[in-house]
Amino acid sequence: MSVELPDTTGVAEQSPEELAELLGDLVIGREEHLNAPGFVIKPDTVVETLRRLRDDAGFDHLSCVTAQEYEDRFESIYHLTKFDDRTQEVSIVVPADKENPVSQSANEVFRTADWHEREAYDLVGINYDEHPDHRRILLPETWQGHPLGKDYDQDQPQVVPLREHANPLLEDQKAEGDSETMFLNIGPHHPATHGVLHIKTVLDGEQVVDLEPDIGYLHRCEEQMCQNSTYRYQIMPYPDRWDYISAGLLNEWAYARVAEDMADIEVPEYAQIIRTMGAELCRMAAHFLALGTFALDIYGDFTALFMYSIRDREKVQNILEDLTGQRLMFNYFRLGGVVWDLPEPREEFFENTRDFLDELPTALEEYHDMMTSNEILQMRTVGTGVLPPEVAKSYGATGPVARGSGVDYDLRRDDPYGYYENLDWDVVTEDGCDNYSRLLVRMREVEQSARIVEQCIDLLEDWPEDERNIQANVPRTIKPDDDTEIYRAVEGAKGELGIYMRADGTEKPARFKIRSPCFSNLQTLPEMSNGEYVPDAIASLGSLDIVLGEVDR
Amino acid sequence: MVGPLQSEVVLLPERIADLLGLGGVAGEVVGALIGAFIVGNVMLAMTGVAGPWAKRKITAAFTDRIAVDRIGPFGLLIIVADSVRLLSKELIIPEGADRPSYDLAPIILPASALLGFAVIPMGSGIHLADPEAGLALVFAFASIASISLVMGGYASNNKYSLMGGLRAVAQNIAYEIPLIVTAMSVVVFAGSLQMSTIVAEQTSTLISLGGISIPAWYAFVNPFAFVLFLVANMAEIGRNPFDIPEAPTEIVAGYQTEYSSVYFVLFYLGEFLHVFLGGAIMATIFLGGPAGPVLPGFVWFVIKIWAFFLFTQWCRSAIPRVRIDQLIEIGWKGMLVLSFANLVLTAIIVGVIA
Repeated sequence: MSVELPDTTGVAEQSPEELAELLGDLVIGREEHLNAPGFVIKPDTVVETLRRLRDDAGFDHLSCVTAQEYEDRFESIYHLTKFDDRTQEVSIVVPADKENPVSQSANEVFRTADWHEREAYDLVGINYDEHPDHRRILLPETWQGHPLGKDYDQDQPQVVPLREHANPLLEDQKAEGDSETMFLNIGPHHPATHGVLHIKTVLDGEQVVDLEPDIGYLHRCEEQMCQNSTYRYQIMPYPDRWDYISAGLLNEWAYARVAEDMADIEVPEYAQIIRTMGAELCRMAAHFLALGTFALDIYGDFTALFMYSIRDREKVQNILEDLTGQRLMFNYFRLGGVVWDLPEPREEFFENTRDFLDELPTALEEYHDMMTSNEILQMRTVGTGVLPPEVAKSYGATGPVARGSGVDYDLRRDDPYGYYENLDWDVVTEDGCDNYSRLLVRMREVEQSARIVEQCIDLLEDWPEDERNIQANVPRTIKPDDDTEIYRAVEGAKGELGIYMRADGTEKPARFKIRSPCFSNLQTLPEMSNGEYVPDAIASLGSLDIVLGEVDR
Repeated sequence: MVGPLQSEVVLLPERIADLLGLGGVAGEVVGALIGAFIVGNVMLAMTGVAGPWAKRKITAAFTDRIAVDRIGPFGLLIIVADSVRLLSKELIIPEGADRPSYDLAPIILPASALLGFAVIPMGSGIHLADPEAGLALVFAFASIASISLVMGGYASNNKYSLMGGLRAVAQNIAYEIPLIVTAMSVVVFAGSLQMSTIVAEQTSTLISLGGISIPAWYAFVNPFAFVLFLVANMAEIGRNPFDIPEAPTEIVAGYQTEYSSVYFVLFYLGEFLHVFLGGAIMATIFLGGPAGPVLPGFVWFVIKIWAFFLFTQWCRSAIPRVRIDQLIEIGWKGMLVLSFANLVLTAIIVGVIA
């Protein structure tokens, strides 16, 4: 194992008993989740509990907030972990009254809770006390009912007259008590939103006074679709559709990991290497596109850089097509392995991949020549869209966004899965905290991914022919025990992609919650953009590299 | 030194009048109308080639693509297809548009550029008018463009358009001064604002190198002024890295966001005409106008303005856009100071030598 573990001195590892002692009377019950110990607390002690865990035990990362409804109660689960030691996790379970589900908001301790709790209110129907902005987030404000609640009637018509919709065009909106500003809708149709994103912007001249992302245009309740599908085969195609920009295998791995851990399936080593290789190829493709679209935002046209990055992404796509048979929606992973072995003739596949890897340094050199060493680009990106590490952590930013702010956090190393811990590679961080750093991180991550792919290719080439086991023996139907709960994450292209699942003894999950890295990352946009110029806000949005399919799910 | 050169210039309207055998006022009017018709159409035709076809092909070459190649040889007939397509689109007028100015803006933009070509000597005897203040006149015509952009931006009743219009004004004011001050340094050399004189002054030999005489084009005489003018010109016509009034990823399409169909075509046309006018001014005052070996003057003139067009497209493919505040800063704090320094130095040097 060549990857160095982060320095965890000063953050002592706590046993569940020590944590229980720390929380004292706050704990009213205990649960056992597969990934972490769970502590049940009263709904009005959320802030107190989370603050104690953050300040005294070092749990500084609120990874996800899951809300769900049982027959007798509502429940919010705060999945906490540490940026310094991802393997330490704790779940704070907050039951709420069935008739009047009210729970205290965690927004005071973790800023990321803002959007997560809004989503919980929107989809499940739990009300959060003291929440600064208690509104729906994914569905329109006029929506009737909460789709993931037990008493929700799916056939109820949702016809709302146009006048009742919040129509941003109708009134001339201004910032309160200030007639010097102009309200501007950026999106939902705008060249720089990379999808259907609506940003409500208040401008003072060319400067952004306030900015608020309005999401949900691509929402189709992927969580519910997964809840209606069987573990064994039906869920796997969905993850491809979250981050649909060629990060498919990374997403599939998120589901594969959580389901395999839940059903206790051991994946053969050979399949793990194929998975690792495929995932890193996907990461390269995703980063190439991020690079190209960021250039598009800064350069303002379909310039050479955009086309070059598309060209290089195309090479990765071809390799992935050879491997999986698909170009976008791969559906290549299966529980316990992958669906088929490398394409025959294997030599040709290896050769193609090696050719690509050999050309990569030249291509990256070209990007550096045209992009990172361009003075105008540096003028535009250095020192703009600044996201200090503490703010990034509070918002639960992960992936290249966090690493661009100097947060040394990468699940591939910190919570090892797949074959990563046996390979030689580095986690890339930059301390600039600005748009330029995020760009650099992505470019250097492509190099690291290439290193990983190269090592995987070497391993696969020398693998004995009779030991090429691509799938473990997995039963036809998987029925985990009732009330098994698990939250697991992988390092997706944009950051920590987590899934929470609760089994109810059937072959379908009772609750399937997706923790999307883009969702949390997008939340930092106002922090980065307020007070800056419109072009910088656009550049910051580009540097976050969001995919709306994953934000809205 | 002005007198003898001036008398040699025979303008296009006069030639046409001579050819038609018309004299007096009738000859002047008919000659001027036909001359203007020819020059205007030549310029519009070049724009027609540049907009739908050449721009795509050039950008494609810079960005590893093929671009239009389905219709006609080298995809040239896309020009016809695109014209039909654009003209047959619905003309959408936004609610609350300020009508007279919304309609006038797309006409003023190409018209201002076309007016500018009146005083440009294009070689081979194609020169419509040669007033004594020709250089001042062409800058005056060219800067009418910003009025059109403000009108369009303001009248569209769209916030993006408004921002585009405001940016256009800020940019044009910031760069017009360095542009004209730099052109003044050429006037110091030539001793005249008259276009024909400026061109004629550049025909003398600067130095001879092994039998090849290098002409005294002001780009060679004062390369510093040439570069300054080139940069200011890019800002003036709103091309990368100064395409801020349009800034597609920031403010959608700036002042032309709400324009469709014929109005859009007119705006598009106007922009390309202004690029060509910018190239024509550069060619005239820095690159010896239509001068060049072997080929006829007009061909050299076309080559020079297309070279400038190519340059703008090159920049568009390779250079990031600066931010509006950075643009203003470069304009007022950098270009203005440099252009005045250039003017003063030129005046001193010319005064000492001459």
